[in-house]
This record gives sequence, structure tokens and C-alpha cells, in this order.
Amino acid sequence: MGEPRDTLVSLTGVDLGHGDQVVLPGLHLGLRRGERVALLGPSGAGKSTLLGALRRQLGDSAAWCPQQHGLVPQLAVYHNVYMGRLAEHSALANLWNLMRPLAGPWCEVAELCDALGLDGLMRRPVGQLSGGQRQRVAIARALYQQRALFLGDEPVASVDPHQALRLLALIDQRHTTSVIALHQRELALSHFDRVWGLRDGRLVIDAPARELSLADLDGLYPDADGSTGEALSRGRP
Amino acid sequence: MTPTDLRTQAPRPGWLAGQSPGVRLARHSLTLVALAVVLVPFADLAVLTRDPWAELGRMARGLAWPAWGTLESPLEALGLTVAVALWGTLGGMVLGFPLALLFARSRLVRAGCAFVRAIHELFWALLFLQVFGLSAATALMALAIPYAGIFAKVYAEILEQIPGTPRDALPPGVGRLSRFVYAELPLAWTRLAAYTRYRFECALRASVLLGFVGLPTLGFQLETAFREGRYHEAGALLWLFYLLIASLPWWGHRRLMPLLALGGAFLLGPWPALEGGLLWRFVSQDIWPPALLEGDWRGLIEWLARIPDLGPAIGNTLLLGLLGSVGALLVALVLWPLACRHFGNPATRLAGRGLLVFLRSTPELMLAFFFLLLLGPSLLPAWLALALHNGALIAFLVARHADAITPGMPGVNATGRLAYELLPRLYPGMLALLYYRAEVILRETAILGMLGVATLGYYIDANFEYLLFDVAFFLLLVTAALNIAVDALSRRLRPRETAIIDDPCQR
Repeated sequence: MGEPRDTLVSLTGVDLGHGDQVVLPGLHLGLRRGERVALLGPSGAGKSTLLGALRRQLGDSAAWCPQQHGLVPQLAVYHNVYMGRLAEHSALANLWNLMRPLAGPWCEVAELCDALGLDGLMRRPVGQLSGGQRQRVAIARALYQQRALFLGDEPVASVDPHQALRLLALIDQRHTTSVIALHQRELALSHFDRVWGLRDGRLVIDAPARELSLADLDGLYPDADGSTGEALSRGRP
Repeated sequence: MTPTDLRTQAPRPGWLAGQSPGVRLARHSLTLVALAVVLVPFADLAVLTRDPWAELGRMARGLAWPAWGTLESPLEALGLTVAVALWGTLGGMVLGFPLALLFARSRLVRAGCAFVRAIHELFWALLFLQVFGLSAATALMALAIPYAGIFAKVYAEILEQIPGTPRDALPPGVGRLSRFVYAELPLAWTRLAAYTRYRFECALRASVLLGFVGLPTLGFQLETAFREGRYHEAGALLWLFYLLIASLPWWGHRRLMPLLALGGAFLLGPWPALEGGLLWRFVSQDIWPPALLEGDWRGLIEWLARIPDLGPAIGNTLLLGLLGSVGALLVALVLWPLACRHFGNPATRLAGRGLLVFLRSTPELMLAFFFLLLLGPSLLPAWLALALHNGALIAFLVARHADAITPGMPGVNATGRLAYELLPRLYPGMLALLYYRAEVILRETAILGMLGVATLGYYIDANFEYLLFDVAFFLLLVTAALNIAVDALSRRLRPRETAIIDDPCQR
């Protein structure tokens, strides 16, 4: 693990969980500045728990894109994206913005929406959008926070592979460091510096992406243990 | 079957034995019914009028041939009814909304809300009548104060149930107000609006009822006409009321509301001149027993002992509450299939729905009044009114939920569908709804006293009439305590496993 200056988060034998229930016991890992980390593992392995802990430690310096998006279906796309920087405006400005969008944020959000292919949808309530569009709104909100670090819980889960590449590129372009939970193993190898692999509450993979193969990653998924399961899971995008 | 097969077979269960939810709830309900049957002999259910059928015939003729021409300024009474309902609801919202935000955190707020909720609108009206006289101020306060308690509770429940993910997704450091208007209010908005709308409908019925204590809404003319036997005029007024309720979707449009509120404000005047001294004397002296103010405990006990018939009044109130609830359950069980798409033909369903709409939109006090004229002053008319009104309300909701169910086995006959497909799915929710309703039923038993049924309400009304404010106020407190206790009890008895028909809009 590099010099202490470059280490943003360092967990040494920490128990992570919700309340009394420990999901990830005795966890050792470190996150360094400038690193792009893919977080893999079957559902229920503790990915969200780990991301939540990172989010708590990093506080204000991390942009956050949650799994269920955390969008408000009744509000327009613009307002949902604006919520990324709700803390930076006064309550009065936030109220006013609900009546009539503030000029500055409106332009900035419009630019982001253009980049994400959401142009023309800014005034549409999020409840009326498709799953893929909502995912992009959630990413737009995280990008709008303009932080150096990006934490995403499956931010590209419900978009097609082509679009996933484009979105990851956009996230890379605007953040120096990122930790992104994924289930596309090929993407993890091709677009990230490092892979963290969780299985049954343990960090079983923590290695540079270039040293790993798809077969290594298959070991994370229980249904890939048998030979038949392996064949099946290799077919996944 | 060989003898060996017989030996391995599990023994046949006895009557209603077992632990499945259906059987358990059946035992639960039968216990309730049995309790009601055991207690019925203690209730005064005599028919006191000599010829109820002739009276009923005259009333039916009045409803069939309403005398529109005899009405005196019906539009003004109608306008005032709407204005009082609208401004009363608005007042309740303005008072109740901030309380809803404090509801989960403050025990004091919860207790205060439970108290103001436990006293019926009509009793609040009787109380304010002593201070503000027969004016719109009395009417508005009588609606706004209990509604503030109701809004606080229901708004708080709705806000509690919104999904938490948007709130959790917010960046750190967002202020309380910004968080509320962006990540909480929009998620609850539809349900808040729907509930407010339902409450406005209740306010319309309550506003009509305020006529029974003398305020010049539609109910005043209605009561006078009924009491004086002018049934054709009463029929016209009743039709007017049903038209008002039925046409609510058109005139009650969201965009028309501000216009109605402004127009209504002009109808509410003239405002009473408020005398501070008089108000203070009422609040600080008139409503408290003199012995208590002097600190004379012996005198207080004597004062308590002089209150007439307190025990029987409480007994009658509770008995009527129990009988009303059990009656409502039976009525609901009989009526819901009539309005449900799984039974009958289009004609019977139309008739069934019409009957349910008629029964649930008629205020229970009016139904009781009608039965009272028919049967004379005993518990019977009050029981019938409570059972029919609340039973129809529950039946309506159950039928709506039954319509959304697709039976798993097509082609079963009607009884099979009822007993095997629908009732097992609907009954837990139905019983839960009844328990929610029990508190409302008890509150209503008290107000039925104003018609002469010997519940607590009768004595409250009478003591206000004799200007014995201290006794009346004490009885009001007893009523409130009783309601709060029954609410707590029914919350404990309510079946918990499923609450499919848990619709806050009907509580």
C-alpha cells in the first residue's frame, strides 16, 4: 500500500454491517488517490455495505450514485439533478428554485443533460422516464456534485453495453478516483485499474485488473463453481 | 381404504379448531358477536312509536315528491355549508400540518391531538357556542380544532411511510427545510392531497350537522322540517344534500377551490364581537367545578356524586359502541357482495352500489334522526344508524378491493368464490378496518345522545342547555378519555398479520 499521503481510505480489520448485524467482518483494504476500482461480487455479498462505509468515511469529498437511484419520481429531471448540490444553496434559494429554476444551475444542468443524452427531458417528471433514462439522471446528479471522487452502486446496471462504456468514460473524465460496483466482469477488467471481489462477506480479490482473468472473477459467483455453471456465466455480458 | 390407511390418518379437526388465520379470525369475530348477544338484554331496544309504518310511508312520499318551491333561500344555506366546510378544513390543515412534523417526536403533541380528536365536532360546536354564539366563528372552530388533531396524525403517518432512498441519497449537510421540500414532500404529495380531499368531504357532512345545534347551515332547515313533519320539504333538502355530495367532483375541482374559498368568506360574516373578559371567565371559571377552584376536595366529591346517571350513561355509550361495531361488521358482510363485480348481474350491482353510496353519504346523525322519528327514542335507532352507515362504508371499500382480485380458479359457483377465493383474502383487512372504525363509532354514539338516546352525549347536551358548564365540560372530558381508551384497546385487538384494506382515507 503506497505512501500514506496518497491513501484516501484505509480499513484494517474493521467490521462493517448494519446495526448489530456484521456483514463484512475483519475487512482489510485501502483506496489510493487516482485509482479506479471495480467492485464485484454476487448480490448480498456486501457491496452496498462497503460502499456505504466508504461514503461515510469520505464524507463531502465523494459524489454518490446509489443503487435505487434515490430519485424523487414526482420532481422534474432538472430538480433531481439539482438535488446533488442542495446543501450549497440557502433554503430560500432552494424553495425559489422549485417555483422557477435558478439561472446558473439551469445552464449547468442543461449542459450535463446534453452530455448524458437527456436533452429535452429536463422538465419531465422522473416518474415518466424509462429505467435507463432514470439511471442516467442518477449519474447526472452525481456528476453535478463536482467532486474528485465517485462512488457508484451499480450505476450502469440497466443500460446497454455500448452506453455503459460511454457513461464510464464520462465518469472517468470528471473524477480522478472512483469506486464502482458492477456486475459486468469484462468491463471490470478492461476499464478499471483494480478489482475488489467480495464473496460471502470476505474480500477474496484485491488485485490490479491487468493481473486478473475472467476465470479469476468467475470464482466470485457461486453458480459458476460447477463446470456447467461456468459455461453459463461466461455467456453473460 | 384399508384399516392401516385409517390409522395413519390425522384426526379430523373439531369445530373451528386450528391455527390458520381464517379460523382464528372466525373465532375472534364469533366471540365479538357472542359478547354483543350476551349484552343485548341490557340495551333499551323498545319500539316506542305506535305506527312506525305509516310514518315511514309519509317520509318515503316526502322523499319521492320533494317540494322544491317551499324551500327558503336554499342557496344561501348551501353556500354557507360549503364555506364552513372549506374554511374549517383549511383551518385544520394550517394548524395540523406543523403539528404533523412534531408528531413523532413529541409525546405532548400526540396526547393533545388524541384529545382534540376524541371530541366530536358537534361537541366542540356546543362548547364554542357559549363563547362565540351562533356565528361562523363557532362553526369554523368546531371543525378546525378536531381536524387539526386528525390531520396531524394522518399526515404524520403518511410522511412516515414515504420511501427513504431519496433522503439517503442527498449529499451531506442539506438543511431540514430543503430536505423536506425536495426529498419528502413530493413523495407524499398525492396521498396528502387525497386525504385532505376526503376530509373535506367529511367536513361537508359535519357542516350540515352543525345545523342541528342551530347554526344556519343546510342541517338547520332539515332538522326543523323533519321535526315539524314537513316531509316534502325535508325530502327536497335531502335531495339537495345528495346532489351536493354527488356533484363534488365537478364543483370541487382543484382550480375552483381558491374561488370558492374567497366567495365563501363573504358568506361567513357577520363576525361576533369577541369580549376578552367573557372568554376568560368562561375558560377560567365557568367550565370548572367551583369546589375545584376553591381547592375544597370534600366539596368536589359531593359535586361528583351529584352528577346524575354517570354510570348508566357510560355503560350505554360503551354498549352502543360495541353493538354498533358488531352491527357494522354484519352489515358489511351482507352488503359488500352486492357491489362487487364477482357476483350478480349489472343491474344488481348498480342497485348495490347505489345503496352503499346512499348509506355512506348520509350522515349517521341524520340516519339516526330518521329512525328516531320512526321507532321512538331508544338505543335501537342509534344502533341501526351506526351499523348501516359504518357497515356500508366498510362494504364499499371491501367491494373495491374485491374487484381488484382475480380468482385463481375460474368457473367456481358464487358461494365457492365467496367462501374460498374472496373472503379469506378480504376478511383480515375488513376486520382491521372495523377496528379502525370502532373509535369513530364510539365518538358517534356520544353525539347520537343529542337526539335523546341516553348516552353521554345526551347529558352533555342537557347540561349545556341548563348552563351547567362545569358538569358538561367534565362529561366532555370523560367522553374524550373513553374514546382514547377504546382507541388504544382496538389498536391492540386489531388483527395484525395483514391489513390489505388499510386505507387512511377512511379512518
